[in-house]
Amino acid sequence: MVSGFETHIELSTKTKIFCGCTTQFGGEPNTHCCPVCIGLPGTLPVLNREVVRFAIKAGLAVHGEIARVAKMDRKNYCYPDLSKAYQISQLYAPLIIGGYVELSNGRKIRLHHIHIEEDAGKLIHQHGDTYVDYNRGGVPLIEIVSEPDIRSIDEAKEYVERLQQVMRAIGVSDCKMQEGSMRCDVNISVRPEGSDKFGTRTEIKNMNSINNIAKAMEYEYDRQVDLIESGGKVVQETLRYDDATGTTSSMRSKEDAHDYRYFRDPDLVTINISREEVEELRAELPELPADRYKRYTAELGLPEKDAALLTKYRRISDYFDEACEGVKSPKTVSNFIIGQIFRRTETEADKEIFDVAVSPAALNELVKLLDSGKIRNNLAKSTLEKMLDTGKGALEFISESDMGGLDENALLELCRNAVEGNPKAVDDYKNGKEKAIKALVGNVMKNSRGKADAVAAEAKIKELIG
Amino acid sequence: MVTREDVENIALLSKLFVPEEELDELTKSMQDIVDFADAINNAPASDEGFDNINNLSNVFREDEVVESFPSTEILKNAPEQAEDHFLVRNRE
Repeated sequence: MVSGFETHIELSTKTKIFCGCTTQFGGEPNTHCCPVCIGLPGTLPVLNREVVRFAIKAGLAVHGEIARVAKMDRKNYCYPDLSKAYQISQLYAPLIIGGYVELSNGRKIRLHHIHIEEDAGKLIHQHGDTYVDYNRGGVPLIEIVSEPDIRSIDEAKEYVERLQQVMRAIGVSDCKMQEGSMRCDVNISVRPEGSDKFGTRTEIKNMNSINNIAKAMEYEYDRQVDLIESGGKVVQETLRYDDATGTTSSMRSKEDAHDYRYFRDPDLVTINISREEVEELRAELPELPADRYKRYTAELGLPEKDAALLTKYRRISDYFDEACEGVKSPKTVSNFIIGQIFRRTETEADKEIFDVAVSPAALNELVKLLDSGKIRNNLAKSTLEKMLDTGKGALEFISESDMGGLDENALLELCRNAVEGNPKAVDDYKNGKEKAIKALVGNVMKNSRGKADAVAAEAKIKELIG
Repeated sequence: MVTREDVENIALLSKLFVPEEELDELTKSMQDIVDFADAINNAPASDEGFDNINNLSNVFREDEVVESFPSTEILKNAPEQAEDHFLVRNRE
């Protein structure tokens, strides 16, 4: 399988790309419009500075080269989603050239370029007629065009997830596929294993969920392989994926022949980008998820699985970093977040928002109590649950008497009590039932209110039983 | 060279209907336009790049929301409308 992606991402600027209308999602039909974005004659588009800045940030985050000179072009086609019969886009001099997205298997999916353009209006087809709402028309997009470097469905899914993750982390888009703020066109072809020639490709348009991307690619891969193996030929065409049937079908009729007659938009002047501005924007970028992942695994010694979960959403990594401030074992913080806090933020949406009753500082305090040996793991865990229930700090639930380890004598005393009070368990252990010792240790733990060290207690009990 | 097929194709892409008897004349006028543009392209010019007549670059606006128009204004020029939408009828 050979696949390349064209990914459209709506930028979360306040206003549209060429006018001051709001970019808010939804709204009553045709209420976020003005003469510029519906393309009335005599109006002049003026480029939103923030769009350029956001796009440059996006380019830097995927290691692209920022052009010194960029220009806007007109892409001509007649369809009701464009009131002007052309879309203002970039072909000859896009803002960002090259770049790559690195996958967890170490492969780099190279990018061809990233350009800025305006989104089209929304069409509602009803009883054969089309209702047009131009609220979305003119919302700024970046289109990220990859090279045909993707080799499997898993790589495709990860590529989209990585883009989503990084664009959210740098704050240029919310990348909500279900609201259409991220959409993918998937190019796919097949070739015999070992061949280095590309087969004829087809393009599946406008995919709006990662699940559907996977299903559509699987269907299209099988279709192309079957076609070739039965002696047929793949026709280069644009396809639509039907979610209900799980199949792809041809989309274009012959009158939609690909001929966009691109030319320079005479209404918009050249964009010159100084190196100073690029460096300024680079300095504004937060630590990228991929860099965080490397720091968590290499410097903090977290398992890859933990690092992946903690870097999926920016709020979670920010939370983790803050809770880790000055602690001995970042893994402990990770365990608390993944093991306990994640149970309170079950859905992906909850994880993205990551609104947790316990502040990172409060978790930090709890972990430090554990680090310093003042409390034991079990007590820390149950305390965290109480903190999550109430939003109160650790010290609300841990009294002075809970803190501090047990001294040698106190531990000995508790062990002795356990042995004397449980003759049956002692006999069982003596008769070879290794597990019986756990009951004795449990008794010590309970009577010490979780303060005893289980390993030390077990050693001491064995000593006593002899 | 502009051909009759070019004109037919451009008409199709622009969703224009051109009667058969006008094709020859249109082909000739389009050829005239292309020749005119070629004449400009061939005019002697300095080596310095030329971008636009006012030599402008980096014309931007700030990202500040301006009130949009009421949908009644937006829809005023719509050939047809329904439920606050532009309406495009299926003519097939």
